[in-house]
Amino acid sequence: MRAAITRYEAAHQAMGTEFTLVAYGDDPQYLTAVGNEVFDEIDRLEGQMSIYKPKSELSVINRTAASRSVCVEPKLFELLVNAVDHSQSTGGAFDVTAGPLMKAWGFFRGKGRVPSNSEIAQVLRRVGSRHVHLNRAERTIRFDMEGLELDLGAIGKGYAVDRAVDIVRRYGVTRALVSSGTSSLYALGAPPGARGWSISLRNPYSSEKAANIVYLRNCSLSTSGNYEKFFKLGTKTYAHILNPSTGKPVENMLAAIVLAPSACDADALSTAFYVMGVERTREYLATHRDLMALFYLPSSTGRKFRRAILRSDGSSRIGAFFPRTPERKRKSTRKGTSTGASARSSARYATARWDDRSL
Amino acid sequence: MKDKVNDEVTRRNFLRSAASAAALAALPGVAAIAENPGPNDAVRYGFIGTGTQGCTLLRFLTTIPAGRCIATCDIYPPNLKKGVETIGSKPDTYEDYRQLLDRKDIDAVLIATPLYLHARMTIDALEAGKHVFIEKSMFFKEEEAEQIRKVSAAHPKQVLQVGLHRRSSVLYQTAMEMVGKGALGRVLLVQSRVTTHSSWRRPVADAKYERLINWRMYREYSGGLMAEMGSHFIDIANWAFEGEPVSVIGTGGLDYWKDGREVHDNIQSIFDYGGGGRHYFHCMLFNGHHSNGVMIMGDQGTLDITDDRGIYFREPVAKISSGPAKENWWAGATVSKAAAQKGVLIFPEKEAKDSGFVDRESLYARRWLASMGIYQPEEPYDPYWGELVNFFASIRENKAPVVPLEIGTADAMAVIKANRAIDTGQKTSWTKKSA
Repeated sequence: MRAAITRYEAAHQAMGTEFTLVAYGDDPQYLTAVGNEVFDEIDRLEGQMSIYKPKSELSVINRTAASRSVCVEPKLFELLVNAVDHSQSTGGAFDVTAGPLMKAWGFFRGKGRVPSNSEIAQVLRRVGSRHVHLNRAERTIRFDMEGLELDLGAIGKGYAVDRAVDIVRRYGVTRALVSSGTSSLYALGAPPGARGWSISLRNPYSSEKAANIVYLRNCSLSTSGNYEKFFKLGTKTYAHILNPSTGKPVENMLAAIVLAPSACDADALSTAFYVMGVERTREYLATHRDLMALFYLPSSTGRKFRRAILRSDGSSRIGAFFPRTPERKRKSTRKGTSTGASARSSARYATARWDDRSL
Repeated sequence: MKDKVNDEVTRRNFLRSAASAAALAALPGVAAIAENPGPNDAVRYGFIGTGTQGCTLLRFLTTIPAGRCIATCDIYPPNLKKGVETIGSKPDTYEDYRQLLDRKDIDAVLIATPLYLHARMTIDALEAGKHVFIEKSMFFKEEEAEQIRKVSAAHPKQVLQVGLHRRSSVLYQTAMEMVGKGALGRVLLVQSRVTTHSSWRRPVADAKYERLINWRMYREYSGGLMAEMGSHFIDIANWAFEGEPVSVIGTGGLDYWKDGREVHDNIQSIFDYGGGGRHYFHCMLFNGHHSNGVMIMGDQGTLDITDDRGIYFREPVAKISSGPAKENWWAGATVSKAAAQKGVLIFPEKEAKDSGFVDRESLYARRWLASMGIYQPEEPYDPYWGELVNFFASIRENKAPVVPLEIGTADAMAVIKANRAIDTGQKTSWTKKSA
């Protein structure tokens, strides 16, 4: 006798966001117990990687690695190796040492502020994964200068999603979705009767409208958007994703979305691609496999945006399906539209042209 | 200097090479070295019980070079495998812990098995000549206290440490220093709780392993919430009151998770320490609103500790003195009462806020606490890590462990008595100790 299909959904606060687990199975008690394991592991990872908890292993590393080599737990060590690899392969666009920059701009806790150029130059001296030395044989980490700080904020949530999926899989669950807030998620299998988990990618100008829908199956997706965290000073808006080479917020980018087999990679690369922009991302994808990148770019006209989708070799195998873009009602707009009311009202019909240049 | 180190190494290798034990025993001093690795030797240990808690400890152990895991043991193959993967030092594996104890090259064992096995394994390990780290609660049955005490007394050179990790927390050490220095005045009440909304159930793919994996839920093996959760805060209260309770009353029930388990999911108990000192503890599995923590309340102040954060509140107390004083009052100044009511973080967040009067006042108060030597700005490491470092240091430096037998015994005994009070509905008393 088989019980009816059970759907389990639970949310859990951790890492400054809300993790959600949806899982299908036949036994509610079993699924609840699997949920316990998943959220316990996420809490444990937060306790290990948090830079807000002075007792976390990462905080201990940040405090001591400039003065001596610190022995690192094997799994965290692997993650640090992975993070430094991503820094190198993205030319520093993703950088786990960029924390001091975020602080200078007031993105930790406090209110935003614009630091002076000399202050930025000062801070940039303490940024760069070249200062992080990982000794694989000894499993130790060492900084070659004072003031360096590791911050896994742009990779840790994706990593936690992957670890959660490992647990779900280990307990034999085949249909599940794990997400960390709206930034990173992994879709395992598909819901009963569906070809994949339906994910709406939000419109960069409006959290209630979908810019695209994508179906995912055994695939992760991560988003970096200028709408996640920002502050306004005067008329200018400063978004929280900083370019580690200039020390300033990235401009002319609304969102970068990455589809990849692992949420950890997707998380790191969505930040990197956001910083790198379309052209540098194209170069990156020419030498890497199994990735898809989607950009929402500002348009010259009002609150419209342009899309660009880029694919690497092997991207057709990563389990992401875009349904055919629906025909959209397009109003004719005058060239060189002013910021009048008519331009705003037409903005809700996002320009549907796909800048789809597969590599 | 170098030669001395080399000699030491050579001698140790010689010991390990299993020359005849009788010949070794004839050499003065050698036996002591075999029992106690020196200050520069990694302690070679075996780990017994590599389930969830075992792996938590193993993860911290991977970062502690003072110990080296050379063997692990678990009767459940998936957990045995998980333990080996977690520690990553390619340990030998055993299903029978007695085979692990037979290894002469193992200095110490760490035990994180179900509660009902604690006493037997601790005793066997001590008798096998090992230093022992035993997870809390230390034992399951009242009579086991005396059994462990006897064996431990017969092996005085071996460290026996109990895994009450809050004793290794700088936050709690600071709190207790404040209590000891009178920052709270006369402490009369400790209130503590563990609240969570969780079934407390681990997933079991094959029903035949239910009792093995979810042992915490069955009375044959487990002391329930009081042993698994309460023991931590029972020890905090023992620490604050510097002694053991004299009696306990309690109530509890299986009120929410009626899924075949035998232990309660909702318990309340009050421990009486005599002289007006009491500890109220409650634990529930249907609501996590109040997280975990403890409030230590005296007539001059309160320490409110929730998770990793401690706040000190001063009680507004009238000052009474005899005779007149020079009266000189200012008009128009803001009264600083707000600072006392808001409380002072004894572990503030890393970044100090810099807005407003209250924050400046708090900062002043923190400096004042620091000047009295009772303020630490932050918890510098995880208490689990701390207790494990302490364990190896005790072995290598021949020091008393941070949680010795007496503390562990008082804690485990209170668990047993509180459970009895809950089950019988009767007040349960401690018998007067024969000093």
